[in-house]
Amino acid sequence: MSKVVFEKVGKKYLSTWAVKDIDLTIENGEFVSFLGPSGCGKTTTLRMIAGLEENSHGKIYFDSDVVSDPLIKSFMLPEKRNVGMVFQSYAVWPHMNVFDNIAYPLKLKKLKKEQIKADVEKMMSIVELSGLELRKSSELSGGQQQRVALARGLVMKPRILLLDEPLSNLDAKLREKMRKDIRKIQQDLKLTMVYVTHDQKEAFQMSDKVVVMNQGRIEQIGAPADIQKSPISEFVADFIRSGE
Amino acid sequence: MIKKIVYGLCLVFLAALFLSPQVYLYLIPKLSDFSSVLLNENTLKAITNTLFVSLTVAACCLLIGLPLAWLLTRTNLPYKSFFRSGFCLPYAIPPFVGAIGWIILANPTSGVLNQWLGLHLNIYSYAGLIWVETSFLFTFVLLTALTVLDQMDSSLEEAARLSGANGLRVFIDIALPLLKPAILSGFLLSFLATAASFGVPALIGGPARIYLMTTQIYTYQRMGTANGLQMSIAVSVILGIATLVLLYGTQLFFSSSKNYTVGGKTSRPSLVPLNGWKKPVTVFLSILLFIIFILPLCGVLLSALSAVQGSWTLSGLTLDNFDRVVFETEETARALRQSLFLGLGSALICTAFAFIFNYFIYRTKWFGRTFASVIASMPFSTPGTVLALAFILSFSRGFFGIGPSLYNTLFLILLAYIVKYMSLSIKTVGDGYQQIHPSLEEAARISGADWWTIMKTIYLPLLKTALIASMFLVFMPVISELTMTILLTGPGLETIGTLIFSLQEYSDMSGGGASVLSIIVVMFILILNFSLKFLSKGRYGL
Repeated sequence: MSKVVFEKVGKKYLSTWAVKDIDLTIENGEFVSFLGPSGCGKTTTLRMIAGLEENSHGKIYFDSDVVSDPLIKSFMLPEKRNVGMVFQSYAVWPHMNVFDNIAYPLKLKKLKKEQIKADVEKMMSIVELSGLELRKSSELSGGQQQRVALARGLVMKPRILLLDEPLSNLDAKLREKMRKDIRKIQQDLKLTMVYVTHDQKEAFQMSDKVVVMNQGRIEQIGAPADIQKSPISEFVADFIRSGE
Repeated sequence: MIKKIVYGLCLVFLAALFLSPQVYLYLIPKLSDFSSVLLNENTLKAITNTLFVSLTVAACCLLIGLPLAWLLTRTNLPYKSFFRSGFCLPYAIPPFVGAIGWIILANPTSGVLNQWLGLHLNIYSYAGLIWVETSFLFTFVLLTALTVLDQMDSSLEEAARLSGANGLRVFIDIALPLLKPAILSGFLLSFLATAASFGVPALIGGPARIYLMTTQIYTYQRMGTANGLQMSIAVSVILGIATLVLLYGTQLFFSSSKNYTVGGKTSRPSLVPLNGWKKPVTVFLSILLFIIFILPLCGVLLSALSAVQGSWTLSGLTLDNFDRVVFETEETARALRQSLFLGLGSALICTAFAFIFNYFIYRTKWFGRTFASVIASMPFSTPGTVLALAFILSFSRGFFGIGPSLYNTLFLILLAYIVKYMSLSIKTVGDGYQQIHPSLEEAARISGADWWTIMKTIYLPLLKTALIASMFLVFMPVISELTMTILLTGPGLETIGTLIFSLQEYSDMSGGGASVLSIIVVMFILILNFSLKFLSKGRYGL
């Protein structure tokens, strides 16, 4: 697991800033949520950690290694970063069964067959999917696809696991259970997790630290209790209140 | 990094094969060449003939195609899917087969219809030429209009019916105006297809001494003289430029016209009842389908089975012609082998290129990709005659002087097919790419896959159906291509198309050889079409 550091990170399209002046440290083993309305830059920031977007300004570190610094044209490709990610659309490959979906990152690492089988089985029991190995992904429910995506992100023993609004397509009851499950897995495996959501309840319930964003900038960083007790700006106060 | 290099190679490939031969051709003639074309009686006649025949054919295509499309989608016509399939099928069949069929049925000296029914039809005439062209090219209008009508919000028509309009009024007041963009593009496509056609005007126009620009270019090119070549180049350039201007000019002009049809509505439309018209319309369509599609094929079949051509009876039919043409003629085996090689080769190469190239179109925002995709699709609408001449000029002394001459080689024919039909692959595979959510690729990258691994393990399996369809769709027209091949072919380079053409024109007029091969080609294409339709569960194929 790694710590992630943002130093004055920004991304500019032509003349507009998608995100600007992001200074942020995500500690090893921490559960951090990016919270904000749609279009606030939270997903862009997450995708910059993955390397799916390139920042145009500032530096990003994993521990002490620079993974992106546009000034010296240094950029580590996403496939080299060893970061796991759970997409909003799940992105479970429809042409592979459950086992092959989860085993994919391990096959690319050229692990031995027995090793892959053992790792995948273990991860499937953690996300409670045991027995569904040969299921086609088209035969899975939304919640099950979610678990496949989670297992695939975890099985590679990533430095960080990124989750992009993973629960937004599930019904309310299932969402509640998944929140608890994800948090439990994070604590049991001592993972660094970054979680993007526009649901303040979700962010405050799950996180060690919440990053409230607005119009491409960070409004406030803090523990859930601190932010709720003393919001730093009217925007933050409004945003918290609107969810109650 | 590899990605950028591959993209660069794609661009070089497009520039070398798709762009430079045509540009080179267009830059050859001097202004004085054009004036000598316009002052020459033959070429001027060919140009006016082309305009007259193409305009008439396009108008006839609208007349048949539009009402047909509406009947097939919007009314309670019985046997709709049967009629739909039947009327679309001529799209897949090479028109020169139809020409051969109609020559057998309606030539003035010994046409079957003239003999049996005492008619006095003469297929070797303007009317004959226009009829045979129309009987194939109305499918351009039909297919365009079907696509639009399938997607049209049917509540627009339902509102008209509730306002008191009957079936015909609904068609005239609502469907027709909404179909305007489809009408324009259908008209343009069938116009351009007529102007670019070669097989039908060569077989029917030749004996009637009616020359179009394509057949005139062929005649000049075959003369082999410097003057002939000069004239064929000048006529080609006029035809090529006119096509470009019409195609892209009208797109600019009409791009502002609104499209009311895209509502994404898949609601089941209520159908306009034909009431008392139901029976007459069904009978009429059956007769039309019989005359357009079945009758000429019956003519070809009769000729293929007759020992003596010209005095037609149903007694004494024999398979001798098949035996002679298929097993005893050495050209046939060679033509079949070479057509198969060309078909498989171009299908594979077009599909492979489209697989890689479309990735850059739909998955990157790299510079020049839009322009590159226009360049890649352009040759499909360039008349084959023009394209073939451009290839002969660019490659006959090596590639612009580099390397060995490719003139009179199978390889040059292969290149021409790839360039001409690439558009079909790019369209089919591109539609496939658009159906795949980008996160499926991103999830693989995050898992540690580099670009090539992603292409192999994610896109290749996900695009499987589209890639197979792309191969079929290129293979089918290539297997019987005539227009380009007739100019590019040489001694020993027969294909099925050129062999049928030469059997019909010169060498086997009394033996029914062309008919035998035509029947084989049509059967082959129909089988391919229906297996594609079956394999793709109705998504592709007619």
